[in-house]
Parts: sequence; C-alpha cells; structure tokens
Amino acid sequence: MRLELQKITKQFPGVLANDRISISVDKGQVLGLLGENGAGKTTLMNILSGLYKPDSGKILIDGKERIFRDPAQAIDAGIGMVHQHFMLVPVFDVTESVVLGNEPTKGPLGSFDRATARAQVAELSKRHGLHVDPDAKIESLPVGVRQRVEILKALYRKSDILVLDEPSAVLTPQETEELFEIIRGLARGGTSVIFITHKLNEVIAVADKITVLRRGAVAGETIPKKATAAKLAEMMVGREVQLTVSRSKSKVAEPILQVKGLNVLNDAGGLAVNSATFDVRSGEILAVAGVQGNGQTELVEALTGLRLVDSGTVVLEKKPLHAGSPREIAMAGVAHIPEDRNRDGMVKGMTIAENYILNTYHLPQFNKNGLLNRKAIAAATEQAVKDFDIRTPSISTDIASLSGGNQQKVIVAREFSRNVRLVIAAQPTRGLDVGSIEYIHRRIVEQRDAGAAVLIVSTELDEVLALGDRVAVMYEGRIVGILDAKEATRERVGLLMGGITK
Amino acid sequence: MNKRKPVAAARAKTTTSAPAKRSVSVGDGADAHQQLIASRVRAGLFALFTLLSLAITAGSAGVEGNFAFWVDKVGGTDVAFSVPVVLLWAAVTAGFGAMAALQLVRGASFRWRLAIGLVSPVLVFALLTRLLDGTTANLTVFFTSTLLYTVPVGIGALAGIVSERSGILNISVEGKLLFGAMIGSIASSITGIAIAGPIAGAIFGALVSLFFAWLCIRYRVDQIIAGTVINIGALGVTTFAYLRILQPYSEFNRPIGITPIQIPFLSDIPILGPILFSLSPYFYIAVGFVLFFTYMIYRTRWGLRLRAAGEQPNAAGTVGIDVVKLRYRAMLVAGLLAGFAGSYISLSGTGGFGINTSAGQGFIALAAVIFGAWNPIYAFGAALIFGMTSSATTLLSGLGVLIPPQILLSMPYIVTIIVVAGLIGRVRAPASAGRPYDQG
Amino acid sequence: MNGLKKFGSKIRIPALSISVALLVGALFIIFTDIEVLGGLLSDPIGALSLGVGRAATAYSALFRGAFGDPENIGKALASNGDIKLWARALRPIVESVVASVPLIFVGLGVSVAFRTGIFNIGGAGQYTMGAVGGTIAALVFGAGVTPAPIAILLVMIFGVIGGAAWAFIPGYLKARVGASEVITTIMLNFIAGQFVFFLVSNFEFIQKPPRNQPVSKELSQFVDLPGILPIAALRLDISIIIALLTAVAVSWFLFRSTRGFELRAAGLNLAAAKYAGIGAGTSIITAMLISGAISGLGGALVAVGTIKQLSPGIGGSVGFTAIAVALVGGTRPSGVVATALVFGLLQHGGSLMQVETSIPIEMLLFIQALVIAFIAAPELTLGILKNPFRRRPRSVGK
Repeated sequence: MRLELQKITKQFPGVLANDRISISVDKGQVLGLLGENGAGKTTLMNILSGLYKPDSGKILIDGKERIFRDPAQAIDAGIGMVHQHFMLVPVFDVTESVVLGNEPTKGPLGSFDRATARAQVAELSKRHGLHVDPDAKIESLPVGVRQRVEILKALYRKSDILVLDEPSAVLTPQETEELFEIIRGLARGGTSVIFITHKLNEVIAVADKITVLRRGAVAGETIPKKATAAKLAEMMVGREVQLTVSRSKSKVAEPILQVKGLNVLNDAGGLAVNSATFDVRSGEILAVAGVQGNGQTELVEALTGLRLVDSGTVVLEKKPLHAGSPREIAMAGVAHIPEDRNRDGMVKGMTIAENYILNTYHLPQFNKNGLLNRKAIAAATEQAVKDFDIRTPSISTDIASLSGGNQQKVIVAREFSRNVRLVIAAQPTRGLDVGSIEYIHRRIVEQRDAGAAVLIVSTELDEVLALGDRVAVMYEGRIVGILDAKEATRERVGLLMGGITK
Repeated sequence: MNKRKPVAAARAKTTTSAPAKRSVSVGDGADAHQQLIASRVRAGLFALFTLLSLAITAGSAGVEGNFAFWVDKVGGTDVAFSVPVVLLWAAVTAGFGAMAALQLVRGASFRWRLAIGLVSPVLVFALLTRLLDGTTANLTVFFTSTLLYTVPVGIGALAGIVSERSGILNISVEGKLLFGAMIGSIASSITGIAIAGPIAGAIFGALVSLFFAWLCIRYRVDQIIAGTVINIGALGVTTFAYLRILQPYSEFNRPIGITPIQIPFLSDIPILGPILFSLSPYFYIAVGFVLFFTYMIYRTRWGLRLRAAGEQPNAAGTVGIDVVKLRYRAMLVAGLLAGFAGSYISLSGTGGFGINTSAGQGFIALAAVIFGAWNPIYAFGAALIFGMTSSATTLLSGLGVLIPPQILLSMPYIVTIIVVAGLIGRVRAPASAGRPYDQG
Repeated sequence: MNGLKKFGSKIRIPALSISVALLVGALFIIFTDIEVLGGLLSDPIGALSLGVGRAATAYSALFRGAFGDPENIGKALASNGDIKLWARALRPIVESVVASVPLIFVGLGVSVAFRTGIFNIGGAGQYTMGAVGGTIAALVFGAGVTPAPIAILLVMIFGVIGGAAWAFIPGYLKARVGASEVITTIMLNFIAGQFVFFLVSNFEFIQKPPRNQPVSKELSQFVDLPGILPIAALRLDISIIIALLTAVAVSWFLFRSTRGFELRAAGLNLAAAKYAGIGAGTSIITAMLISGAISGLGGALVAVGTIKQLSPGIGGSVGFTAIAVALVGGTRPSGVVATALVFGLLQHGGSLMQVETSIPIEMLLFIQALVIAFIAAPELTLGILKNPFRRRPRSVGK
C-alpha cells in the first residue's frame, strides 16, 4: 500500500510541532525518517496512528483520503506502530499481549478463546521467524524479545504499513542488524515500513528513501546512495556539525573512584550489577556502553547512594562510599547528572533558584539556623544562570517552563557548583537538541581537563566512542570488557554489548 | 545468567507479592530484602500466636463451650451441644504452629493468605468459647449474621475491584452505599414494590459513579479527592434529605423489606438449612455476582481489556481500545454494584434509612479489596472474616460478656490497618490505578 | 494596583466555587421541599416562587447567623454602649469566628501533609486524639493542681502529643512499608471515635457523674481559657490568637525554613528529593508529626476551651471540612485562614438557618463537597460560569 501524508500541521501551545510536513512511502519500501529530538517525528507518528488529530493536512492511503479519529481506525486502515516505549502489559503473557484489542472469543459472555489465540500467535511467530514463547510473561522477557512481541502485534493486525519509532534504542548493534533483516524481509513481502530514528548510520543501512525533519518541517529528501553521514547531519541540524567532540589528550593521574566486586539488586530482587570491578582515574573519561537495561541504571544508582549496595566496595579517594547516603556521596565530591532528569534531577513546581540549591540547601552558605538564606541563594543562582547561559525570564521561574536543554543546564550547573572530584553522568544528553548536546559535552570535558574523574553511562554508541578515554561495556550486569579508546571500535564494542567476548 | 544470588533470586521467582507501587521504597533494591524480612516477620508473628494460643489452651482446661442451634427454621426447636474449649484451642495452636513452621521454611512462596483463611474461622470460634466462659450462645444467628454481613462489604468490594482493575482508584464506595441505601428505601416506599428498592439503589449508585468518573476522567481531578467529594457529598445529601423529607414525611421511609427466602427442601436440612438456605436473597445474589465477576475478569475479553486498562492504559489505547469509554463502563458497573449493596442496608432490616447508616462499611470493603488482592473470591473471603468479627461483637455484647464493645467494634478497622500496612504481606495493585489517562 | 489584580486572580476560583455551590444549595433547598414538589405540576409558578421565597428566607437566616442581625446591630449602635445589646449584636459574628478556630487548626495541619504529598484524611482522628490529650491534661493538672497558665500550657502540650502520636502511625506505616495513608487515616478516624467512647464510658476519672452518659466531666471546672474580648458574654478565647500564630509559624516553616524546603520538595517529587539527599521516609514522618500536632493542638484547645467537654462525636465533620478548607485555601496558610473564616461563617450561619427554617445544617457538607470538586477541577468551574451566561461565538458561514 502506498501511504502519503500531505501538508500535515499540528500546533501545540507555544510549539509548532509539525509544519506542513509531506512524506510518502510506497508498497514494499522502507522510508527512513530522520530527525533530532524535538524535530516533530513522534508527533507526526502519533497523528498517523490516530492518537492526535492534525490541525490541517491529509492522510492518503492508496490515494484515498483517510481520517483517523482514534487508534482503532488507524489500525483498521492497516497502520501498525511499534512505539519507542513499548506498549505492553507487564503482567500479561505474550499471547494476551499480541491479541489484545482483537481477541478471538467464544460463547455468549465473550469468553477469551486462549487456545485459538495461542495457536495464531505461535503460527505468526513461526511464519515471520520472530521467535517468542507465546506463554512467557512479558515482564520476564528481555527488551529485544519484547520488541519482537511489538512487531508481532502489528503483524497480527495485518498491518501493511509498519512504523518503528527509534527501534534500535534498546538493541545491540548486532540485534539491530537482525532487526534490519526482519525489516527487509517484511518489505520484500510487500509491507511498507517507516523507520524513525536520529541515528544517521541506520537510515543509510536500511532505508530505501530518507526524509529528514528539522524543527517540525521537512528539511530534505534523499536516497542512501547519495547520502553521507555528514550531509545528513547537516540537513538534520541546519548547520555543519562536528561529529566528534574535540578534546585534548587526557592527562591521566591517580585513580579517584575504585569499585571492587560490586553487586547490586534490581527491584525484582535479581542481580542487576554482578561483581563489577573498575576504577576511574583523575583526568579521564570512562564511558560505560551497553544496551539499556543491562544494569547501568542500577550501577549509577548504587554509586550515588540511591540504591543499596548488596556487596562489594566503592572507594572515592580512599573514602569508602558503598554505604553512603546520596548526601554524603554528593558532599564527598561526586557530581551526578541523573539518567531521568524529569524524575530525579529536578522538582517541577519549584523555581530555578530552588532547583539550583536542591542538594546544597543545607550548606552553611544557604542555611542560617534552619532558615533559607534567600539573598545568598538568589546571588548564587543569578551567577549560575550567567555562567551556564541558561535562558530564562528570571530565577523565580518554575523550572517546568524551561526547555529540556535549559533544564539540563540547571542540573549541570548545580552539580558542577561544588568541588567536583568525580562526575557521574547518566545519559547526559538524552532527548536534547544538538546545540545542547555539544554544550553539555564541552562542560563535561572541561571537568575532566580540570582533573576530575568522569564516568559517563550512555546507550548511544556514538556518544560513548566520542567521549570515552576508556570504554567499559556492560552486559547482563557484568562488565564484559574495558577497552582503551583506540581499541574501542564500533564492531568490538558492539559485540561486547551483545555479550560476545571473543 | 542464573548465577544470581540464591536468596534474592529464589524469592523473586516464587513470590506472588511483588512490591506495591505505592511503596516509597520502590526503586532502591531494598524490596527483595524486605520480602525476606516480611516473611520472617510473618513467621515470627505466627509463632507468637502459637505461644499465645498455647497459653490459652493451658488455661482453659475443664471449661465447656456451650452452643445451641436452631434446628429446622428460625424460631424452631433448639439443639444444644458443648465442646471442650481446650480442644478448640489445641486446634488453633496446632494451626498457628504449622503456619509458623511452613512460613519459615517456604519463605515468600508460602500461601499465608489461604492459611489465614483456614485458621481464622476456628480462631474466632475458639475466642468465642473462651469469652463465653460457659454461657450458652446461639450460633445460628452468629452464622447467618456473618453471612449477611458479606452482602454490603462483599459487593462493595466487588465494586472497588471492578473500578480499580480499570485503573480508577475508588474510595467512594462508602458514599455510594449511603446513596443506594437512601434511594432504595425511598423507591421501595413510594412504589410499594419490594424489588424497586434494589433496582433504584443500583441505578442511582451508577449515576453517582458516572459523575465520579466524569470528574476523574474529564476534569482529571485527583481520584482520591474526587472520592472524598463523593463521600462528603453523600453524607451531606442523605442526611439533609433524611432530616428534611424522610423524617417529617415518614411514609417515604417505610420500605417493603426484602425478607429471607426459604429455599425449598434445602432449608429443611437441620442446622445447615437455617444457616445457609434461609437467607435474604441478597446473599445468594452476592455469591452469584462474585462468581460471575471472577469469571468475567479472568476469562473473558472484557476482563482482559479491563485489566490491560488498569495496568498499562497506553498498551490498551494504542491497539485501538477506547480506554476512556472502558473506564466509564467499568465505573457504571461499579456504581450499579455499590448502589445495589447500599440498598441492602436499608431494605434488609426494619428501620429503613437512617443517618450515616452505612457506618464505614464502604471503607471496610476497600480493605477487603486489598486483603483479597483485587480478586473477587478472596475479597469475599476477607469480607466473611470481617463479618465474623462483627457478629462475634454483637453476640458477646448481647450476652453481656465483659469486654468493652468499643474495642471489638474497632477490630475491623485495626485489622484493615494491619492489612494495608502489609505487616503480613504485600499485594500488587493494578499498576495504573489512580493515574489519569491521556488520550491524545 | 498590580497586587490587587494578583489577589483578585488568586481568589477568583475559590470565590466562584463557593458562590456556585451556594447557588446549587439553594436549588437543593427548593427541590427538596415537599410542598414545592407537590405543587409543581398543578401550579408550577406558584410552587417555584414559594420555593424561591423559602430559599431566600433560609439564606437570610444564614446571613444573619453568620454576620449578625442588622436590626440588632442598629440597636446596639444607638444604645450608646449597652453591653447587653452589643453582646447580642456581635454574638453571631464572634461565634462564626469561634466556629472557624478548629477549621484553621485542622486546615493548617492537613495542608502541611498535602504539601508533602501525603493525603492525610485523618485530620478528624488527630483532632480527636488532641482533644483526648487536652482533656486528660485538664483533668490532671487543672482545678488548681498547677497554676492556670501552666495548666493551659500542659493542655496544649498534651494536645500536640495526642495528635502527633495519632498521625505518627500512618506516617510511619507509609514511610516504612508504603501503606496508603488514605486508608490508614480513615480507619484511625473511626478508631479514635471508638477510643473516646471507651474512655468516657469506662473511667470514673473522666466520665461525667452520674456516669450514665458517654461524655466527660465539665472541663470548665478544671481549666478555663481566658477570653480576649472585653464583653464577657462573648466566648472568644485565646485559641484564635494561637491559631493565627500557628498559621504564621506554618507559613515561615514551609517557605523559609530548610525543613520546609525539604518537605515541599518531597511533596512535589519524591524521587528528586531522594536524589537531593532528602530522606523520603523522614520527610513523610516529619510532615505527619507536624500535621497531627497542629490538628491535635486545635482539638485540645477547642475541647477544653470552647466545647468544655469530651464526647465521642467531637471530631464530627471537622476532618471533612478541613480538607475543603485546605484545598480551597490552596494549602497556603493565609488561604487556609481566610477559607476557614468563610466556612466558620457558613457553619454558624447554618445553625441559625436550621433553627429558624428547619433546613438541616448538613447542607453545608454537600456545599463543601461541591466546593472541593470545583476547586479540584477549575476548568469545570470556569465552564459553568461561561456556558450559561455567555453564548459561544457563532461561526459565521463560510
């Protein structure tokens, strides 16, 4: 089927998310939809899947105009979505998850016909080579398999147009390659595929046609043969982009953080970090690579005192920290840029000044006999706003009203406001635009050059390779390898991310 | 892969009570430890109970528990019998001892909920005998009032389960019970038709429930605040209407009572007949509802979608299920159930509607929901246990046994706190109950 | 000018909510009147005007009960300082303020918990246990055992302890095992009521002789709170002063102190608070202790000073109304005080309405429920104002 979007426009309060976007994909074609965060990709797909209504513009399928009032109509029209955040019920099993919404039933009460459903799911997964156990509980499945369940969901609904939103975020490079195989197979079978990503290499690898979005509008169209990464990046950002972070050679000195035999449990009680041993030295960046969900989150939480250490030791400049509280650790000289800034990094509903002192309010300069020293707080915040170029009307503005990049700058400013010996930055640039990414990277490298040890955790291989003086790879809770920057090639790190150590 | 730490991993695999989402401690890895600690605490608690009941056993040698049953039908002849109290307490001691041992050995995988369900009836019975201390008690009334107690609490709990499974936290059951009671009484009085009461109560409960859902869904009012609105409003409106209309014009508050029915043949069985088969039709309907909804929730398409909406509404929404409509429908059903349950309160007795006549049963229903882990049958069992405590209170105070009734009356509330606190184990609530759902 | 505008926008929604709720209340009065309903079919206009007339009479009684009878005020003004006439003129408004005292206390207490993200519905129970503490202190230390000021201080301290202890239970359970405070506080409200019942019917030390009623001894024989008005017949005692001081203290605590900062951070985002080194459990327990202490203080002062007796129903609807007060007041101490005064006016006005027109005062509960709904759904409130009175812009045909 041929899908065509014509001049789709969608306005949100204060943002023009989609500005007359026109894209098309032919039967059996793979369209790579490229754009950085905030370019309007997700909004466009939500319109296509019937979650949002466009303010204007048309959706044509095989030349006929279709209007989707809700997801059910989009599904009926043959559009299948695989969302970036999986839409699965953790307590359901695979069969239930796949058929939900189109369940086979029998009897007057609408009894769920599990046997039929199970057979259908088993047959479907066999036919498309997507191996899953129909009886497995979703919460027990690794993310890669959950993605297969998502694809099965779309296939079960006989989707002719499959939309994948940032599907590789949770996959190793090898798994991504397998996914590409699946995509190519589906395309050969006549399915049209829209592949949304911000990763340049991926569109070049899998797409038949590339459309680039920038700030809610189409910035250009090309085909992989004519495209280079640099050219696509320029199209995506609107200016020339440095694909690597410029930095001097590191002057590595004594180790600052020493981690030995660290075990950490996850929420379900399983071992999330399995005897991790490594150190980070003054003046170096250790970048931890790995597919999301391999224990990095728990590692960072344990190092920063947010999660109990089950066993093992963490030492910061001879000071044991494995039993430290978040405050003790912060005061010992650890700056922590949290993975989920909305959840951990800031308090929405509080002002920029209040967020700036969020973990330093108790220090003598801000705290006079149990009362807040408002003058000192205002002065310090004003200075930080200047130093970090935080764009805000005033320091008493609610932090929720800032852009993601500026929010992250407030967090970074706060964390770097103390005497920093170790920087722990988890996904420091997730969801930011290229300008902010460059800025945050520069600030982190500055800390390294000033003699701090830096631990960066990222699922973006590009970020890891660009920043790391050494690269550690986590797989199923273990550190499966630590490589020097020059040995850390995309292929080697990729294999390690998949748990292949030889 | 399987080299996880044995303690934690074993527990993670076997436990059915994963961390509740409302827990503050979620996310710091302490939950696995807490599971282990919780099961040890539980074992300790059971061991303590064992010792306690052992002490009572020792102290009650020679005391007889005297009971009487009405044979045949209410008001018929009595049959009296007596049991040595020691025997009952020995049984309780053995029960608790076994529970303590099993809990310790099996850890979190031990089905303590079931064990409590088995031991508590014996315990209540044994307590009774001990407190009676030789006085004769009539057990027919005790059992029938226990069973009848499950009508408002059990159906109220069912209403809570249906709405919370759909993702709407429902503390407004109490308010709906009150509305159901008042409207049921008025409708029955005006029409003079017995069945009009429950029907009108159910319909009005549904309307209130839809209003509640409208506040929660359309206006995204915090679900607890919305529930508070309903509860305060119900108390205000019904009391106002009672004082302004029902009291001065008492013809509006003289409902045709729903009287017990004698099930042919079965009600003639001695002892069991009067207890089980001569009850208010409400009770049989309640049992029917519980079975019906258990099937619906776990075995049908409706239930699958309901649970999906309560766990992960986005997962349901993106496959084309209209979560908003589904939640409205679930709230409609919940309202019908709660209103129906409320009508029982004013229609089963003789007095009609009175001020605040539900007296917190709606909140006890919520406790039953939690205790029953959002499963209708378990929740009904919890309602039975609460009912037993309540009828024991009535029985003892009627016999003039010297134990302050206030303490007994507080029992269901205290038990509820213990249950909610998870001191004897945690349960997993529907993951999205209490959170509004954004549809585009 | 700008300040006035800001103030206006702040009270717009609360004022609107209360007005609309009163309007709905009037409809309720009209359509629960059997005579009106009876005549509705045969003579709709007559019946409706009868109903409207009655609603007007009721609200006029409510108004006079709240603020005072203009006639009496006129007489007092003309009397050239006749104490009796002045007392009669001022009694309603003073009593309204008296009625607002428990609401200020519990409203403040509940607000501190709300600010910390805890839905403490247990105001009634904490208030009741404060009353228990205060009563026991009065019985033990009053009647000359200790000097009066010390006895009053002890009443307050015991009240604080009683309320805080009762709030500690749900706070601890939420912090340590994650028990929903909504359920536990509701249950503790019931238990507090039963506990008072137990106390006042089982102990000679507490129960009023001849011990046939479940109420405590007359507490005015033990401790008397000094009045603050020059007219002795008007019973406004120091509790209102203490209430206002508490409001100021709470305001300072929440917005100026580091502890208050911690609680607000925890209330808005618990995960971020933990990240910032603020102990979630400690914040929850601290907030509940403070919340319970304030409610308990109110309970002690009101039981000893205003009601002068402990009875099982002392918590009454205070807990519910306090939730409304806290939400309408935006959980800001100044807002809480203002709202409590408005609800105090309604409360006392309502009692005169009940006496004069036999319209039950429970109507206020219904009005409170509506006000909470309107406050929690501002869109709804504005929508109600918009739709009936202003026509939607008609789309001009293209």
